[in-house]
Amino acid sequence: MNTINKNNSTHSQRNAVSEGHNAVNKERNTAIEVSNLQFSYTKESPPIIDIKAWQVSQGEHVFLSGPSGSGKSTLLNLLCGTLTPTQGDIALLAQPFSTLSNRQRDKFRARNIGVVFQQFNLIPYLSVAQNINAAVYFASTNVSKTASDAKLRHLLDKLQLPSHVLHAKADALSIGQQQRVAIARALINDPQLLIVDEPTSALDTDARDSFMSLLKDVAGESTMIFVSHDKAMESYFDRHCSMSELSPSTNHIKTRGDEAPKAQERA
Amino acid sequence: MLSTIAIESLKRRKTTAILTLLSITISISLLLCVDIIRTQVKTSFTRTVSGVDLIVGAPSGQLNLLLSSVFNIGTPTKGIEYKSIAALQSNKQVSWLIPLSLGDTHRGFRVVGTTNSFFDHFKYGDMQSLEMAAGSTFTQPLSTVIGADIAKSLGYKVGDKIIISHGLGSVSFNNHDDHPFTISGIVKKTGTPVDKAVYVTLQGLEEAHTGPKHSPTSMLGRKSADKANEHEHEHEHEHEHEHDEHTKEYAVYNSEAFTPESVSVVMLGLKHRVTALQLQYQINQSKKEPLMAILPGMALAELWQIMGNVESLLLGLSGLIVICALIGLATMLLATMRERYQEIAVLRTIGAGPFTLLLLIQIEAMLLTIVSAALSLGLVAGLMSALKPWLSSTYGLFLSSPLFGQSSVIIILLILGCTYLVSLFPAVAAYRRGLHAGLNANS
Repeated sequence: MNTINKNNSTHSQRNAVSEGHNAVNKERNTAIEVSNLQFSYTKESPPIIDIKAWQVSQGEHVFLSGPSGSGKSTLLNLLCGTLTPTQGDIALLAQPFSTLSNRQRDKFRARNIGVVFQQFNLIPYLSVAQNINAAVYFASTNVSKTASDAKLRHLLDKLQLPSHVLHAKADALSIGQQQRVAIARALINDPQLLIVDEPTSALDTDARDSFMSLLKDVAGESTMIFVSHDKAMESYFDRHCSMSELSPSTNHIKTRGDEAPKAQERA
Repeated sequence: MLSTIAIESLKRRKTTAILTLLSITISISLLLCVDIIRTQVKTSFTRTVSGVDLIVGAPSGQLNLLLSSVFNIGTPTKGIEYKSIAALQSNKQVSWLIPLSLGDTHRGFRVVGTTNSFFDHFKYGDMQSLEMAAGSTFTQPLSTVIGADIAKSLGYKVGDKIIISHGLGSVSFNNHDDHPFTISGIVKKTGTPVDKAVYVTLQGLEEAHTGPKHSPTSMLGRKSADKANEHEHEHEHEHEHEHDEHTKEYAVYNSEAFTPESVSVVMLGLKHRVTALQLQYQINQSKKEPLMAILPGMALAELWQIMGNVESLLLGLSGLIVICALIGLATMLLATMRERYQEIAVLRTIGAGPFTLLLLIQIEAMLLTIVSAALSLGLVAGLMSALKPWLSSTYGLFLSSPLFGQSSVIIILLILGCTYLVSLFPAVAAYRRGLHAGLNANS
């Protein structure tokens, strides 16, 4: 609990600071700071990820691309704290993240990171409301029931979900609806950081476009890492990163195929 | 929140959950039933007779004598001749004597020929004497006193006439039609075999079998008749208002005055209990007529030991069945683990730690067992109240409340403990999955 409280106080401090000295204190505005990060699944295998330095500022919406197997998902897992780096550090919201204990990282994720996957974002047998309330529960913030209900309705409204879906079981919804509920779930605790992993690959083009504009709209001031191998999505983002530029040594070997030159071109 | 998730998860796996629930419920019910029967049999046992120091009958077995005399089960032994009874009666150590003549029935209920000394001296439970719910003890040779269960199930009341049948079958063709007995009293419910016995006078019983016989002076009568009168006077003082009308008749008819040719069993009360072993030895050595005396307490203990072993075995077996059912529960949870990987990934994403996943699985297991235990308690309570009449009429087992005692509580706690342990298997699987799996279900 101590750490959690510390987290909170650091947040408020940081917020206060960023309001006052927006331009002055650049370091405090960093949402993600990765330094000398290495990760490999086993001790023997070569690192899948090897990032010297990577920074994402607060409020930035970053498009992260890379072919399958380039380590995108691994990087996301590292950023979410479900994996810990073999070497190096990750700092999130201006505080050390990878050195926290597992429990602290879980708590931090519950409160500060919203995640949307490609699919299977929801627990199928729970209703939409229960799915979203579970996220509120695990964040264990002191938000009152009425406040979070109001927020939930507001979010559903923004995401153009009819209110009757609240009590429908998650797997009774269409894929598009499920993805929008997933965004609502990811945003319910007002996370500083939004991680979105190929959320549109299960959607058709029309649904994808409306999904993207909704996402950009609701994400607002949150920092967002949007992962996709679909270049068509690039246009929605101001900053583009590719795995091959982030982790050149590991991607050099793997992506020698036809995708690698493109990535390098863009870099 | 966790319990909501657990409940919804079980609802989703309705079929397997219900089947698991059923198997656990049945196994717990079985275990509870065995335990109830065990404790109830023991209570029933220890309640059946108290204050009787020796039971004397023809030599057979200790258990046979006990069962036929106290429990009204099995076939009575050959019988004791009158002269042996008289000898016992005149023994200095003997305080009182209850002759019992067995072998007849009334509509399936055992008929016991005895004298009023039975109502004066027989005690059950914690030395409780028999009390009359209605009417009085024997008032004339063809009087009968019936147990509370008979009065209830056959709808008899004081003054009704009943006919007894020869032999022990519930249907008999040899009825003593010409000797109807008049009900003079109904014994208050005791929760012992007394409740389902018909007590008639020795005189009436013998007349029914052999025709009238007159023996105005009897050796047997002398001693105990005096006592009965003494006792009657005490009785009168205590219950003057209740028994006024009956005492007159009672005083007129002295059931002990009759000399039977033989009786099946004799219950003895001694002046000093310590002499019981000595007298038992004397009786067992008697040369005139071979007799056998048993100490009811010891015979009960022996009987209990035999029953107790069987019941421990049953209890053990039921315990194993419960464990099997719980392993079934763990198997069901483990089998669903693969389809839960997705769900585990989602829960991890929203901040649930591996330990929360462990807890979630355990809550599911516990929920199933708790519901099963509650269902079992209801089921067993219902079953027992439904079987109560049958148990008491067929096995002489009287269920006394509370049905669920300390041992039921211990059993349920043990089962919950076992559930906790057994559910660790799937729970740890979920925990490990949570520990190693990344966020994405596909990874």
